[in-house]
Amino acid sequence: MRAPRVGKAVQAPGRDGEGMGAVRRIWLLAWRDLRLEVRDRAGLLSVLAFFSVMLFIMALALGPEEEPLRRAAPGVLWVALAFGSTLLSTRAFALEVEDGTLDDLLLTPGGKEWIYFGKLLFQMFLLLPLSLLALLMAAGLFYLPLDRLLPLFLTLLLGVLGYTSVATFYAGLLARLRGREVLLPLLLFSLVVPVVLAAVRATLGLVEGLPLEEVQNWWQLLLVFDVVYLTASALLFPVVLEG
Amino acid sequence: MLLRLQGISKRFGREWVIRNLSFALERGETVALVGPNGSGKTTLLRLMAGLLKPTRGRVEREGRALFLPNPPAFHRHLTAREHLLYDLAFHGREGDWQGALRRFGLPEEVPLAAFSSGMKKRLALVRLTLLAPDVWLLDEPETALDGEGRALLIGILREARRSAGVVLATHDRALASEVADRTLVLGGV
Amino acid sequence: MLKTAQPERPDTLTWVFLGLGLLLLPVGLYLALAAPPDVNQGYLARIMYLHVPGAWLGYLAFFVTFLYSLLYLFRQNPRYDRVALASAEIGLVFMGLALVTGMLWARPTWGVYWTWEPRLTTTAILFAVYVGYFLLRGAIEDPELRAKAAAAVGILGFINVPISYMSVKWWRSLHQTQSIDLTTGKIHMDPAMLQALLFNLLVFTLLYLGFVRFRALLAVLEARREEA
Repeated sequence: MRAPRVGKAVQAPGRDGEGMGAVRRIWLLAWRDLRLEVRDRAGLLSVLAFFSVMLFIMALALGPEEEPLRRAAPGVLWVALAFGSTLLSTRAFALEVEDGTLDDLLLTPGGKEWIYFGKLLFQMFLLLPLSLLALLMAAGLFYLPLDRLLPLFLTLLLGVLGYTSVATFYAGLLARLRGREVLLPLLLFSLVVPVVLAAVRATLGLVEGLPLEEVQNWWQLLLVFDVVYLTASALLFPVVLEG
Repeated sequence: MLLRLQGISKRFGREWVIRNLSFALERGETVALVGPNGSGKTTLLRLMAGLLKPTRGRVEREGRALFLPNPPAFHRHLTAREHLLYDLAFHGREGDWQGALRRFGLPEEVPLAAFSSGMKKRLALVRLTLLAPDVWLLDEPETALDGEGRALLIGILREARRSAGVVLATHDRALASEVADRTLVLGGV
Repeated sequence: MLKTAQPERPDTLTWVFLGLGLLLLPVGLYLALAAPPDVNQGYLARIMYLHVPGAWLGYLAFFVTFLYSLLYLFRQNPRYDRVALASAEIGLVFMGLALVTGMLWARPTWGVYWTWEPRLTTTAILFAVYVGYFLLRGAIEDPELRAKAAAAVGILGFINVPISYMSVKWWRSLHQTQSIDLTTGKIHMDPAMLQALLFNLLVFTLLYLGFVRFRALLAVLEARREEA
C-alpha cells in the first residue's frame, strides 16, 4: 500500500480542529488504520472466513429449493452482516488499546470529534467491501438477483453507515474495558433493530421488483437513522472519551 | 503560567494516590518528579496531561501538553517514517523528521516491531522534539537508553526548556540534578 | 433529589410518596375490580389497570433517565447519575410488569403471547437497551467512567424509541388502539373505568417517585462505601 502524501500543513496553532485540517486528519486516520489492519492480517482473515462459513451454513439449512432461499436472502444477508461486523467493530479501537497509543490520539490538538469520524471512515472501509462480498455470496448461494445493482449498493451504503455510526461510538466507549467483545453486540443490537429492519425491507423490495418509490420509504427511514445517530454519536463521543 | 494544579487529589477505587497537591510550572522551567515506586508519579503526569481527571481540585493548562509514557507506545506495524508523518499530520505540524531520525541514529524504513526498547525510547524523543509541545511530560525517560542516548536526552531537554516547560519523573538523581531547576518529591505510602 | 447535606435516611417527602403509594394501592385494586367489565373483552379488560400505568411509568422513568443522563454529561454532578440509575432501575421493573401483563392479556385476546406489533416490539427493544445499561454499569469499576458510559447508553437508547417505533410500524402492523388518544384528547371509555385507571396511574406515580428517591439515597450510601 502506498503511503498517503503528507503535504503542507499550514495551520494556526490551536485551531487545527476545524475546516480542511480536520477533513485531512480524518482521512489520514482512516487510511492509517486500514494499513495497520491489512498488515496485521489475522483479524481480517478470520472475519472473512467466519462470514463465508455462516452464509454457507444458512444456505444449507434453508435450501435447497430456490424460492424459499431467495425469500430468505435479504434477511440472511443483513443478519450475517450484523454479526460479522461486530467482530470488526471492536477493531477500530482495539488497534489503539493493544499498542497503547490511544492516549497519543487523545492528546492531539483540537476537539475529539475527528477521531470519531476517522474511526467511522475506517469501519466503512472495512465493512463496505465485506458487504459487497456478502451480496455476491447471497447472489450465488441464495439466488438473489443482482439486476438492480445500483439501488442495492445504495441500500448497503445507508445500512452500513447507520450500523457503523453506532458501532464506532460504542467501540470507543468500551475501548478500555475487558469484556468489550461481549458487551458491544449486546448494546449494539438493541439499537440497530431499525437499521436491520429497514435494510432488509428495502433489499426485499428490490429483489421482488417493487417500484423504487415504494423502496424509497425505507431509504428515508435509513437516512433519518443515519443522520440522527451520526449527530448524536459525534456530539457524545468527545464527552465520553475525555479524561 | 503553563500549568497550574490547585489542590488536586486522585483516588483509584478506595486508594488515594495523590492528596491535596498544588504545583505550578512556568515556561523555561524543568522540574524533576522523584519518589519511590507507587508514589503516584505516573498518575500525576497523566493528570497534568489531562488524560486523567482529578477526583478533587483543578488543573489549568495553557498550550499543548504531551505525555511520554514508559515504555513508549507505538503502532508496531508502521515504520519510523510512517509513524512520524502521521503524528505530524495529526498534530497539524511540520518538521525535519529525516534530520531528527539521523541525529538519533534510527532507521527510517524498519517496522517498529523490530525496534529494541532503547530504539523506541529514542524514537519517542524524536517524536517529542518534532511535535514540540509547550509542556513536556516525561515518565522515566532515561530508562533503556545507553550512554549516547542519555547524552541525546539531556541535549533535547536543554533545548526544550528554552521554549517550553518540562516535568520528568525519574529515579536517576544524577539526571535530575543535571537538567532540573527544582525537584518535586512525592512521599511514599 | 438530594440536598447538599447528604442525608443518612430518607427525608419526609420520600416517606410521604412511599406511604401514600402503598396505602392507596389496595384502594386502586378495589376500584379496578369494582369497575364495570368491558363490553367486548369482559373481565379480561381489568388487566389494563396494571398494564397501562406500568407502561406509562416505564416510559416516564426511561425519559427521566434520558434527561438526567444529559444533565450528568453537561454538569458532571454525580447526583444526576444516581437519579438516572435509580429511575432506570425502577423503570425496568414497571416496564417488565407492562410486558408480562401485556402478554397475559394477548394470549386470550389474540391467541398468542407475543406478536411483532410496533408498540410491543419497541417496548421490548427499550427493555433490552436498559438490560444492557445495567450490564455495562456492572462492567466498569471507575465511578466516573461508569457514569459517563451509562449516560451515553441512556441517551442513545431513548432517542431510539421513535425510530424503532416507526420502523416496526411500517414493517408490520394489531395492537389495541390507545384508549386515551393524546393527540386529539378524546377518551373512549366508561367514566368509572377511566376513574379507576387514572387512580391507579396516580398510585403508580406516587410509588415511582418514592422508589426513585429511595433508590437514589441507596446509591449515595453505596458510593460512600465505595469511597470509604
